[in-house]
Amino acid sequence: MIPMLQHNILPSSYRDPSGFVFASDGIFYRQVNAVYANDYDLLTNGPLYNELIEKKWLIEHDEVNGVDDPRVYKILKPRQLGFINYPYEWSFSQYRDAALLTLHIQQLAMSRGMSLKDATPFNVVFEGSRPIFIDTLSFEKYDPTKPWVAYRQFCESFLAPLLLSAYQHPDLSRLMSIYPDGIPINICASLLPLSSRFKSLSTLHIHLQAGIKGPANQSTGKPPAFSADKLKRIINHLTNGITNLKLSQKISTWSDYYSKTILQDNYLQEKEFLVSGLIDSIDFSSAVDLGANTGQFALLIEKKGKGVIAIDIDPLCIERLYLYTKENKNRVTALIADLMNPPPAIGWNNKERRSLLQRITADLVLALALVHHLCIAKNLPFEHLAQTISKIGKYLIIEFVPKEDEKVRQLLSHREDIFMDYDIMNFKSAFEVYFDIIESKPVGNSGRTIFLMKKKNS
Amino acid sequence: MFLYVDPGSGSYLVQLIIAAVLGAGFYFKAGWNYLKSRFGKNKHEDDPNAST
Repeated sequence: MIPMLQHNILPSSYRDPSGFVFASDGIFYRQVNAVYANDYDLLTNGPLYNELIEKKWLIEHDEVNGVDDPRVYKILKPRQLGFINYPYEWSFSQYRDAALLTLHIQQLAMSRGMSLKDATPFNVVFEGSRPIFIDTLSFEKYDPTKPWVAYRQFCESFLAPLLLSAYQHPDLSRLMSIYPDGIPINICASLLPLSSRFKSLSTLHIHLQAGIKGPANQSTGKPPAFSADKLKRIINHLTNGITNLKLSQKISTWSDYYSKTILQDNYLQEKEFLVSGLIDSIDFSSAVDLGANTGQFALLIEKKGKGVIAIDIDPLCIERLYLYTKENKNRVTALIADLMNPPPAIGWNNKERRSLLQRITADLVLALALVHHLCIAKNLPFEHLAQTISKIGKYLIIEFVPKEDEKVRQLLSHREDIFMDYDIMNFKSAFEVYFDIIESKPVGNSGRTIFLMKKKNS
Repeated sequence: MFLYVDPGSGSYLVQLIIAAVLGAGFYFKAGWNYLKSRFGKNKHEDDPNAST
């Protein structure tokens, strides 16, 4: 096997002998091994590469000076991505669009004599509202006499989470962090409801597949011939079926959040005015909005020309925000995460996929209407919150929600009030361990206070 | 040719069957049910053409 010539190889980039991704001086490169030379040339010399770039489906790259080693064919420098996100952080429509992107790429590739040799959602990353395919070495010469080698992987890692989200609950796509290679077909089949057996998408590609165990040795005798036509039928069926998949309608707990606030009109306007003023007073290029809800403030920042990562626990909030950003193509990357249990580092050595907290760094962190959900509802001490947020970014705009607030009273209505230290003075002293408070302003008559803070020694 | 992904046992067979089913235009519930009973769990099938 080709020895790994570089030291900073990405821990997840070991499976494919065609090449791997490595980092050097903070820049990511992709090494193309000599064994992949023919397929690489077929991709780049033919029309396929340019078409994929033009459609903005594949990440573009430059070829850079290579290594003097006959086993290495080329070194590529892809356009650098600011932020990597993973399938278990996507909402339903994001996942669906990533699946459709993969299928469209496969269809285009087939028409140009190539085919994808893997179909995993880890080959797709969302940049703002747009999914982009990042594995340039996934293309191989198409052999029409063979079925698709990536079919099972597609079914387990794209179709299964989509079906479970649509038929049962959008949270189920988080199973992908437990099964990063895809949710096993038989497990998916056992979790789908009876109604899924009356639709061809689930019946053929999940239930039928779950019911068939192939011969132990696949190469006994001559395999029946496949054809491009047959594969096209399958790809088309998957494409049409997935395009038409819909979430069953459920009302989101939090998307009605603002409509239930007493001082609604005044409060939101005042808050937006305050936050806007604070943002204008600082210098930053990227932001993270923790507990983004409807995304009102993430969008506010985006309008000022900055990239934003909007995070919320509610899959339907992120779904709505994503669909909005999709229509108005912009630089908000909306993702689902539970801040009390954010996606951990997984895979071999627990290093293949980094945890969310390792991946998000930004100049500015927004934590509006959030503190009470963590520090009351989840018993999180102020100190813990301050420490973790201080690792994310330099500036912090955070809203303190006092105990007298209607929302906090709601949270405490069914439980014992053990929060003797939950007040603004303790809040400030906990945060002042890590931050300097630059400004604080009350939000209208709501009783809430917005702070602008800057990390100490930054 | 480095098809490093494990296609999964039976997935080639499944694709043959599905392609045949889609080609034959099987749109009836009876058709699905017949397939499901023919290829139920724990059965091994070497002949994909038996059902059509």
